[in-house]
Amino acid sequence: MTIVSGKAEARRRLQSARPDVLRKMWEHRADYAYVLPAIAVMLVVIAYPIYYTIELSFFNTPPGLQLRDKIFVGLNNYTAILTSPVFWQVTLNTLIWTAASTFISFVLGFAAALALHRDFFGRGALRAILIIPWVISAVAASYIWKWIYHSDFGIIGAVLVELGWASRPPNFIDSVSTVLPSLIVVNIWREFPFAMIMMTAGLQTVPEQLLRAAKVDGANAWQRFWHVTFPHLRNVSTVTILLLAVANFNSFIIPWIMTGGGPSNASHIWITHIYELAFGRQRWGVASAYSVLLFIILMTLGYFYVRALSGNERKDGDA
Amino acid sequence: MTRSTLGGAVLRGTVSTALMASLMSAPALAAPPVDLSKWSPEYVRSIAGTQDFDTAGDCAKVTPLDYKGRLTFWYQGVFEGDPDLLRQYYKDFFETFRKTYPNIQLEEQALTYNDLLDKFRTALLGNAAPMAVRLQILGGTEFASKGYLQPLKPEDVGYSTEDFWPGAMKAVTWDGVTYGIPTNNETMAFIWNADIFKRAGLDPDKAPATWDDVVKYSKQIHDKLGIAGYGLVARKNAGNTPYRFMPQLWAYGGGVFDEATANPTYKDIELNSAQSKAALQASYDMYVRDKSVPVSALTNQQADNQPLFLAGQLGMMISHPSDYNVMLDLQKKATGTDKDKAQTVIDNMRYGLIPTGPDGKRAVVFGGSNIHILKPEYVEGGKVDEPAAKAIICMWTSPEWSLKMAYAGSNPGNLNGFKTKWMKERLDSIKFLDVTTSMLPYGIPFPALPQSPEIMNIIVPDMLQNALTGAMTVDQAADDAAKKVKDLMGGGL
Repeated sequence: MTIVSGKAEARRRLQSARPDVLRKMWEHRADYAYVLPAIAVMLVVIAYPIYYTIELSFFNTPPGLQLRDKIFVGLNNYTAILTSPVFWQVTLNTLIWTAASTFISFVLGFAAALALHRDFFGRGALRAILIIPWVISAVAASYIWKWIYHSDFGIIGAVLVELGWASRPPNFIDSVSTVLPSLIVVNIWREFPFAMIMMTAGLQTVPEQLLRAAKVDGANAWQRFWHVTFPHLRNVSTVTILLLAVANFNSFIIPWIMTGGGPSNASHIWITHIYELAFGRQRWGVASAYSVLLFIILMTLGYFYVRALSGNERKDGDA
Repeated sequence: MTRSTLGGAVLRGTVSTALMASLMSAPALAAPPVDLSKWSPEYVRSIAGTQDFDTAGDCAKVTPLDYKGRLTFWYQGVFEGDPDLLRQYYKDFFETFRKTYPNIQLEEQALTYNDLLDKFRTALLGNAAPMAVRLQILGGTEFASKGYLQPLKPEDVGYSTEDFWPGAMKAVTWDGVTYGIPTNNETMAFIWNADIFKRAGLDPDKAPATWDDVVKYSKQIHDKLGIAGYGLVARKNAGNTPYRFMPQLWAYGGGVFDEATANPTYKDIELNSAQSKAALQASYDMYVRDKSVPVSALTNQQADNQPLFLAGQLGMMISHPSDYNVMLDLQKKATGTDKDKAQTVIDNMRYGLIPTGPDGKRAVVFGGSNIHILKPEYVEGGKVDEPAAKAIICMWTSPEWSLKMAYAGSNPGNLNGFKTKWMKERLDSIKFLDVTTSMLPYGIPFPALPQSPEIMNIIVPDMLQNALTGAMTVDQAADDAAKKVKDLMGGGL
């Protein structure tokens, strides 16, 4: 009996695999040619900016110097970020913003999808109305909400004062304690229709015969939902939550237009803070370091997203 | 880090020599067109309409009228807070330019005050800037110090350096070299509603004399009438904030540096001095203690104060003479009883000098805009059509157009503009213009430093917001801002 070491076996396999891989690549040369332009474009518009952002994150870019005269500072930008109290304030804001917006949008969207799943008169019209916040421009919505919230002559304040429920208009966006929740409400209003659409699509895949069988077996509405409907929606829920989370981490328009991150940084989230560092203060190096950190977080979320999608595909394949 | 090199010194020496030589040339030695030592509303009236200018003829000497070329041009244009009158003059200017230079293909792009710097910086990073740009006064030094701009002085487009306010020329000079030409000089005034003053028990025809009076008046108006007294503005990344807070800061004897002195060195940081803190305390007193200013001050801009003022819900504010025209425009859009209410406010609109500090010091931001030519390597396509750029600069900075383009909002960059017939017409038709021309001698330019945009648009508003939201005490907010300026000047992250 010949004893083959693990290393030697691996080498043998690699050697036998190489011609096989090359042969397969040659056989699929047309396929590679088809995707080559897309890969080239991705290298230019995605890979290079990522590389450049990582490179810039090791440099200082004072306002009096051009970017080409940047000064190498090693990991100083990362140290400066992690020791800055503003970073932790902005990070906390980002986590609250993302978690609250994602969770509440999902719950509201799911509830709306369940309510609209049953057939009733006017369902189509109601569904169309609920989608409106998602289809209107985020910029327009932000300006409208800014006026609705206006601390001196906003419509909410005017109504509350008129009804005698408040002596003066409430301060929604000019207070450090209320600004973030106020913006989150706007974001949820914008996003829950997306969750509703996703969950509506998911609900349509739940086999009707299973629900009928459960009913025949004596399951009540909650049991049918919990034991039949919900397990079927697990994957679409995961994907929806991940997509919402990524979108919320990347939010810019609503906080930037409505408050510019203020007052006193109370509504700055990562993206708005990065924008201000880069374009307002020209700290391209620090902004790049922030972006690298955000990139790592988003890539992690992306990994789970892809895994969730793969899980879906595997399950579909098993079925 | 030092950027001084032997080559740099030689270059600066050469440039200085060239500058001296240019100063010795005939136009530079010519007497200033107006006597600034006599400056007063009466003097301005006496010189208005005394001279005619042939804009096309003058500019033909710089760039022939049949010149064929192409020009890309960005400019800080009109925004929502400007009157319709100004919109019309901007339209007229570009139409006239196209008629005067029919063979120059002009590709112009208007951007608002708050967007222009960000977009221009981004374009420069990608070498995709326009050939010429008209920037707010705050921006020029930053781009000159980075080497993006070509040297450009009034003599290059047929005028003399003496044709422009010395303060405005300081803002386009970096390291002894001139990099642009002022298009307009902006000094604001103090505006109040006489009817509100009367109802609040104040003298309707008397502006508050000092900033302490503004605090008192604001409280009195709020307490008696339940409306906002003074139109405080503290939004970040908005030009309106420094234009309203810096006059207050300087009046109290404070400053970011020593920019309020005759010969500033920008060496010592004064943002946390006792005087600066007193100015910040005045804002704190109005916003937090007395609650006598709009609550929305932290997120609004002057454009938000204008409708409040027109609705009779705001007693006082700092703004341009153009606000009178803005109010007329807004009144035209009002309907029903709102129209009459707006008319009452317009009838009761009064203008006065910006109040003084406790020691009688009066100050206003010497604002405005400047026009520049970019170096070819930073321009899209790598080429600058200099004759075409000089043609538009000559026209915009001419006595005629520098006045017309500043008709309602500010004052002409070219001092000869005060002598034109349009100035006379303007004095007759625009109410309260005298007040803003009277404020010109009190004008203090922003520090001519590349760090100024960050200081004025971010650090100063942050200081205000930190104090007014209670995130920090007044002392802490001022100390924090001073530290940020120190770090910034030290090249820190």
